Amino acid sequence: MNDYNKPLPVKQPWSEEFWKGTKRRKLLIQHCNDCGKNIFYPRKYCPECWSSNLGWIESKGTGTLFSYTVTMYGVEEKFMADLPYVIALVDLGEGIRVMSRLVNCRHEDIKCDIPVKVVFEDMTDEFTIFYFEPA
Amino acid sequence: MSRGKLAIVGIGEVATGWYPDRTEWDMIYDTCIEAIRDSGLGKNDVEGVISVNPMAQPKLQGEIGFGKVPEELGLKGCKDICIVNAGGSTTTNALRLAEHWIQSGIAKTVLIHHCTKHSSIPIDEAIRFFATAGIDLQWEYPFGMTYNALIALSMTRYMHDTKTTPEEMASIVVALNKWAQLDPLSMNRKPVTIEKVLASRMVTTPLHAFECNRLGDGASAMVVTSPELAKKLTDTPVYKLGEAVRYTQATITQRTDREGIRKAVSDAAKEVLKEAGITLKDISILELYVAYPLGIVNLLEGLGICMPGEAGKFIMEGNTSPGGKLPVSTMGDAVGRGHTGSGVGTATYVECARQLMGRAGERQVPNCKYILTNSAGGSGMNMIWSVFGRELK
Ligand SMILES: [Zn+2]
Repeated sequence: MNDYNKPLPVKQPWSEEFWKGTKRRKLLIQHCNDCGKNIFYPRKYCPECWSSNLGWIESKGTGTLFSYTVTMYGVEEKFMADLPYVIALVDLGEGIRVMSRLVNCRHEDIKCDIPVKVVFEDMTDEFTIFYFEPA
Repeated sequence: MSRGKLAIVGIGEVATGWYPDRTEWDMIYDTCIEAIRDSGLGKNDVEGVISVNPMAQPKLQGEIGFGKVPEELGLKGCKDICIVNAGGSTTTNALRLAEHWIQSGIAKTVLIHHCTKHSSIPIDEAIRFFATAGIDLQWEYPFGMTYNALIALSMTRYMHDTKTTPEEMASIVVALNKWAQLDPLSMNRKPVTIEKVLASRMVTTPLHAFECNRLGDGASAMVVTSPELAKKLTDTPVYKLGEAVRYTQATITQRTDREGIRKAVSDAAKEVLKEAGITLKDISILELYVAYPLGIVNLLEGLGICMPGEAGKFIMEGNTSPGGKLPVSTMGDAVGRGHTGSGVGTATYVECARQLMGRAGERQVPNCKYILTNSAGGSGMNMIWSVFGRELK
């Protein structure tokens, strides 16, 4: 696993918990305990009310595909082995939008608004990344 | 806000191209001296220099940012310099700063210039720069996100929602190319057809290679001053008559409000037209710097010129091409002109001035009175409209 040569997420102190979550196969969403908003991407303070009383909820891991693109060409060398790959914008049931990849599907079957669910893949001992596949 | 407080009085530009044998400074000399000569000022009359930050070239950025331009050019009357960076909206901010310098008396005359030389950037450095500029290192980059993919994501959803066809999207490149064909300063002058666009390599669906930017080397410059001094210097001053802006978001995952960008475009446009005291009908040209075809669609629909989903048809019918009823981006934007980083923004204002001065050659739009310009930074982090005109109303 340590031969992973693609870029790893550059963490912030307040996103540590998120990446600990993916390691345990959980998609965590930052949640403001004061105003009740779900927050993505994780912030130091709630962007709605500036509260520092922030916690985490576990996402059901399901949502719909807002948009996608099948990347075929024009990427850095470290991503070339993955080509073609599908970049996805996913609207999670918890009301947030995340960027990810859509995996385990035929490209001709992809359409906006299809239901998708999260899958996890270990990148290194420290990092597990989250992808989506058709539900 | 900014009505009638600044005028463009001189312009200079080198053709966008690929010049491995020219140095950056070679182009800086030529464009700046051309613009100052064009303004009618002497070299020692220029009191301020504002440079557009060459983001992908740290060495040039250091030289320019630490004051080399007036020294190289011998601008003995220069009182201060500054380098400005706001991505694609850099030149707009350079104009704002110049306006402040002029109005506050810091400098009566200001040289604004840009130079980008992509051909001198080592290829691995260039790839790394463009792979990560504006891409979030935590939430986007690990997935293999690219700038092209970012635009493609918006385009996929737009085409899904509006049933706009690949042919209609491709026609935007064709319309821009028609302007570029008439422009001796453009790099991509070879005629392009819808078929050729659609037959070009698929980069990231639905975006074809011809719908992406081709990097080029380029430099341009303009001299600006107060309207009072402008009238003494030239018969064809180009006045800035208004400006309005909205910030949107930096990151695509935050754009969950469908109407977000359209509303930002529309709200700022209403403000700028009001400030300039004109309506959309008075506009002779839209000079848009959007870099990707989808941007033009967003702006035409945001302005209300086209109903949502109809901009593709409007463009395919030739309305924005040479001879059309609403000329758009008369130098062909980055797709036609060649992409010179933030310099496409500078070149857009220089072209705006050229049209209003009546010096645009074969591209000249007859009786050009008012131009509405748009600039934006990043992937549309802001939407800035400005109005320029030949007369102070
Ligand atoms: Zn809150």
